[in-house]
Amino acid sequence: MASPLAERRPFLLLLVLLTFNLILMSSRVRGAGAAERSMLQQAVLTLVSPVLKVTTWAAGGAASLWLAYIDLRGVRDENLRLHDDLDRLGSEARQSEEARLEAARLRDLLDLKERVEYPSVPARVIGRDTSRMTVLLDRGAGQSLKVNNPVVTPRGVVGRIIEAASGISKVQTILDPNSGVAALIQRTRVQGIVVGEGERGLRMEYVSELASVEVGDVVVTSGLDLIYPKGVVIGVVSSIGEGEGLTKIVRVRPEADLRRLEEVLVLRKPEGGPGEELP
Amino acid sequence: MRLARGALALVVVALAEALLASYLPGVARYCDLFTILVVYYGLTSPPPVAMLVGAGTGLVEDILLGTLIGMNGFKKTLLGYLVGTVGSLFMLNQTIPRFGILFLATFLDPLAELGLSAALGRSFVFPGLLHLGERALGTGIVGLLFFWLAARLP
Repeated sequence: MASPLAERRPFLLLLVLLTFNLILMSSRVRGAGAAERSMLQQAVLTLVSPVLKVTTWAAGGAASLWLAYIDLRGVRDENLRLHDDLDRLGSEARQSEEARLEAARLRDLLDLKERVEYPSVPARVIGRDTSRMTVLLDRGAGQSLKVNNPVVTPRGVVGRIIEAASGISKVQTILDPNSGVAALIQRTRVQGIVVGEGERGLRMEYVSELASVEVGDVVVTSGLDLIYPKGVVIGVVSSIGEGEGLTKIVRVRPEADLRRLEEVLVLRKPEGGPGEELP
Repeated sequence: MRLARGALALVVVALAEALLASYLPGVARYCDLFTILVVYYGLTSPPPVAMLVGAGTGLVEDILLGTLIGMNGFKKTLLGYLVGTVGSLFMLNQTIPRFGILFLATFLDPLAELGLSAALGRSFVFPGLLHLGERALGTGIVGLLFFWLAARLP
C-alpha cells in the first residue's frame, strides 16, 4: 500500500511547479520598471537560453534552406515561364516576319501592276511540278484569264498560261524546253529566242556570232512573239559559247526566282496586239 | 528517458513554432503546438512527467513569445497535471477523446490566463470565441496528426 505522501506526490509537484511559476511572474511584475532582473529570472534564462539558442540557430538554418528551396522553385517556374514566352514570341516574330515579307512582295507586285498598262490579275501559286516547268495559279477563266496570257513577277518573266479553267490555271514557265520567248540583249538590242533548258536555266538562240554580247548583259522580251510585252526582264547572260554555224549560244540565268514563286501578276494583254514596252 | 525525449520534442516543437510564426503566421494562429505537446505527454505519461514537460514547455514558450515569464509555465503545468490526471483515470487513446481533450485544452489556456491576470492585477483581453473555436479545431486536427506521427516513431 502506498504511503499518503507517495499518493500526494503529483499534487505536491504541481504545487511546487505552480509556486515556482508564480514567483517568476510576481518578481517580474514587481520589477517591471527596474532595470535589473532578479537572480531567479536570470537562472531561468540561463537554463532556457541553450534551448533558445538551438531553436534560433535551427530556425535560421531551416529558414535559409526553405528560402533557398523557394528561390529554386521560383527560378524553375520563372525558367519555364520564360521558355513559354520565348516560344510564343519566337512564333509571333516568325509570323510577323512572314507577314512583312509577304507585304513586301505584294507591294512590289502592286508597283508592277501600276506600271503595266495592260489590265492585270494578281494570283497566288498553289502548286508546281518538281521540275519547275509548270505551276498552278489560283486564278483562271473565272477571272477572264486566257491561254497565252503572260505571267510575270516584279523581277521578271515567269511564263505563259497554257490552260485556264474556272478558278485555276496552268502556267508553262520559261524553263520548259517547249517554251520560247522573243528576246533581245538590252545593251546592244541584239535579238534572239530564249528557250528553256529545264534545271540548267535558259538558252538564247539565233544570236549571230558577230553580235556584241557579254556576260552580265540583261536580256529582256522583245515583244515580237505577240505574247509577252516588250521590255520585261528575262534574265542575265551567264555564259557565252560557240553554237552551230554562224551563231553563238548564250546562256541566260532567269531573273525571276522560279523555285520560290508565291505571288505573280497575270497580264491580260490584248490577243495578237503588238508588244508594248514596259516603263 | 521520457523526460529526455520530452526535452527533444520540446526543441522540435519550439523550432516548428518559430518557423510557423515567421513564415506561416496564418497557420500559427490556428494551432498551438506547445499545447499539443503537453496534452500528448499528459495522455501518454504519468502526471509528474506531464507536469515537468508542461512547466518546461511553458517557460520556453514564455521566452520565445516574450510574454510574462512564468505565465505560460503556470498554464502548461496546470494543463499537464489536469490532462495527466484525467488520462490516468480514463481510457483516452481513441481519436475522438483525444480530439476533445485537445479542443478543451485550447480553451483552458486563455481561461487560466484570465484568472492569473486577474490575480496579478494585469489586464487581459479574452480572445473572441469564434477565433478560439477555430484555434481549438486547428489544434485538435494538428494534434491528432502529432499523435499519429509520434506512434510511428521508434
